[in-house]
Amino acid sequence: MDLDFNNDLEKRISDAFCVFDHHGDKLIDVREVGTVLRLLGCVPTEQEVNEVISATETEETSGVVHLTKFLPHVSQLLMERKMEPAAPEKILEAFKILDFENKGYLTKDSFGKLMMEEGEPFTQEEMDEMWPVAIDPISGHIPYELYLNQLMVYL
Amino acid sequence: MLCSCGCLQKAGGGGKRRSSSSVEDASSSRMSELESNSRPQTTEAASTRTSSLLQLFHRKGPKCFRKPQRPKSPMQAEKTIRAAIFIQKWYRQHQARQEMRKRCNWQIFQNLEYASEQDQAELYKFFHELIKHMPQAAGTGNKSPTSTCTALLEESEALMEEVGDIVSTKVEIPIMKSHIDLLIDVFRKKRSNRLHPKYVVLILREAAKSLKEMPNLSMVSTAVSQQVTVCGDLHGKLDDLLVVLCKNGLPSTSNPYVFNGDFVDRGKKGLEVLLLLLSLYLAFPNAVFLNRGNHEDSVMNARYGFSREVERKYPRNYKRLLRLIDEVYRWLPLGSIINNRVLIVHGGFSDNTDLDLIKSIDRSKYVSILRPPLTEGQPLDKAEWQQIFDIMWSDPQSVPGCIPNTLRGAGVWFGPDTTEKFLERHRLSYMIRSHECKPNGHEFTHDNKVITIFSASNYYALGSNKGAYIRLNNQLVPRFVQYISAASQAKKLTFKQRVGIVESAALKELAVKMREYRDELETEFKKYDPDDKGYITISKWCYVMEKVTKLGLPWRLLREKLAPGTDSKSVNYFRTLDLLDTDVILEAEADGTSVMDALYANKTSLETIFNIIDADKSGEITLDEFEKAIDLLDAHMPGDTSKSEMLEKCRMMDLNGDGKVDLNEFLEAFRLSDIHRKQQQEADIRKRSTTRSSINQPPSDSVTKLANIISKNTLIIEQDIDPMDCESKIIEPTK
Repeated sequence: MDLDFNNDLEKRISDAFCVFDHHGDKLIDVREVGTVLRLLGCVPTEQEVNEVISATETEETSGVVHLTKFLPHVSQLLMERKMEPAAPEKILEAFKILDFENKGYLTKDSFGKLMMEEGEPFTQEEMDEMWPVAIDPISGHIPYELYLNQLMVYL
Repeated sequence: MLCSCGCLQKAGGGGKRRSSSSVEDASSSRMSELESNSRPQTTEAASTRTSSLLQLFHRKGPKCFRKPQRPKSPMQAEKTIRAAIFIQKWYRQHQARQEMRKRCNWQIFQNLEYASEQDQAELYKFFHELIKHMPQAAGTGNKSPTSTCTALLEESEALMEEVGDIVSTKVEIPIMKSHIDLLIDVFRKKRSNRLHPKYVVLILREAAKSLKEMPNLSMVSTAVSQQVTVCGDLHGKLDDLLVVLCKNGLPSTSNPYVFNGDFVDRGKKGLEVLLLLLSLYLAFPNAVFLNRGNHEDSVMNARYGFSREVERKYPRNYKRLLRLIDEVYRWLPLGSIINNRVLIVHGGFSDNTDLDLIKSIDRSKYVSILRPPLTEGQPLDKAEWQQIFDIMWSDPQSVPGCIPNTLRGAGVWFGPDTTEKFLERHRLSYMIRSHECKPNGHEFTHDNKVITIFSASNYYALGSNKGAYIRLNNQLVPRFVQYISAASQAKKLTFKQRVGIVESAALKELAVKMREYRDELETEFKKYDPDDKGYITISKWCYVMEKVTKLGLPWRLLREKLAPGTDSKSVNYFRTLDLLDTDVILEAEADGTSVMDALYANKTSLETIFNIIDADKSGEITLDEFEKAIDLLDAHMPGDTSKSEMLEKCRMMDLNGDGKVDLNEFLEAFRLSDIHRKQQQEADIRKRSTTRSSINQPPSDSVTKLANIISKNTLIIEQDIDPMDCESKIIEPTK
């Protein structure tokens, strides 16, 4: 390692970064920046990811990010506790907002449409991966409180 | 995509920032269901700056929303968007964690694979050093000249009868399509259906005789066929080979194939793959072109499982069969050229690669690429040996330059500039190589001038990667067919479960590797835990792991798995050690082959060492000759013995006390020291288990739980191969 790490935080960032560094040259594809941030426990919006990309992308070759730029920028963000994960209550609140009729669950159609069209929409692929976990096989609906609990296990 | 209010909007997510590669590269692959993957190019929702801004722009004005389910105030709409974004970002976080697990697993597998390849390459370097320092060791390699190998092809000595079931299938010369159908039917059954050894001998012998007539570089032409198919590494995955043949048809003059090496090792059906390929070659000459890969090598086979596979399947005749297989290997062409425009070799090339030179050498000298070539008294041409290495072992790198490949231990890393010069010098359009596993079975690099093709799906574990083959049309424009075999097994699982399976396989392999260093790990951990509490800091744990195993893995991310149940502040290293002692890991270790096993099993290598040390070719080593070699042996075999001990060893080798060591005594000495080392190991294990029980600490629940998960996930259920049971997709050329 030619970079010196002052603290544990920097080592963590570097480790996460290096998982996506395929050639050992401390460069990652910009498309991986979001994943690296999330790996570090952040929960950024797509817009926030894009902001990090534009702040850290190398000028000479577009499409890659070097660790030397990434490290200080992201260290700063983490120390300022930006993009932190939400408390479960907040997420439940968000679901409740989408549940206009207060049914306690969301239908596949309405939720699917929402996710694919609102906010920062999902791709078909992301949608396909979400369904098996989110849908209750018996009712065909999304009991969001349960879904929330399931996914929270990994946070 | 037109939304219901009539305005045009960009479809959700994805656009690529880079326009260079026309297919996904390894860093952004996804493992979602192939058939529903309508966007082969997108990645995990990495919207471009423009597209996400575009969406936000479209989202701002309520006019552009799809019709709401009930009338909403603008405030309500705003809240909805924010709630949606909230959920989306949180969901993406969750997905990223899965993605991370996948990447980690991939890194583990690749690191382990290359680390052990390095070991093999050590042998090559060792010989290089020996020869360098013993200039009089000109004619090295086996004493047996080429002529006895020819005799091997002719001999019809009686084979021993094998115990157990042998199928009644007969194979005759000339091999025809009917035989191929029979062979496929026999080989694809889950029970290791064995041909009678005489037919195995027949196929191997005939193939070797025929391959002898081929030039070093096969010249392939699409003049008649108008197309050609290229396959990469198969590594004993018969199911993948059958998928390819099923989807793409058997070879014929209108359907020629090039197979780019690495037919055996790692997979369980290497012998079947090899025999089938050779039979296809014999049945459809001029339609099947076989290239040698770095695993078409007895030294590699001893380490990576193929030798063992042959031994298991033909316990009474394996030695003869392995010798015949060597004959096939040494006569395999080194590469192919299509229409004088596209080069196909297994690894790659270096700045020094000279195709004219390659065309002119006597390739049969290289029985194993890792041992010095047979020279029959001629001086050894190290530059030529290096050339062979470069085409078999090299990998492309993204940065310019051409440097020794320290990851593999042999060959080079060649940059885009090397590629450009090479293609220009030899007037080629592009090249195809294999040698590296890719998540999508293929990859473009060096401005689309280098294609990697890898045909073994599920290579590391079920669901680890897709395989692919290339179809080139008459203009040699490539089109890829991507597939996963045994797809029904993977389909039953969710994405997360699939990641879990690959993860278990990765952890298992990693734990087995860590076992090699178990004692050292314990010693090092204890250094940072003077009070013997069992806890050390995360940093120290990562440091020790990297230092001892010498593997550059993301230890911080692996900590949760390798020290299960510990919190985020410190690591209970007892758990790490306990994991290594669980049954599932011990069994996996017993199943594998260690480096020393391989070395010993590879007597020919020891013979070669002997011949080199025996400078005057007297057939015996004097103490004097041995002393000269000791310094080198010391440098390359981690010295736990001093020079005087080594000399003493030599004296001890002299069993008949005549002051000299002949070949048998030399081999015997290795066997004895190998036995001695195994006894040491067993004693260590016994000592360890008694210490554990005296401390009275059974492994913790979390360790046991993890071991059970690994055991369950890596249980392989053998089934008959059904080549129709696959998921595939065609990727059209975008060049």
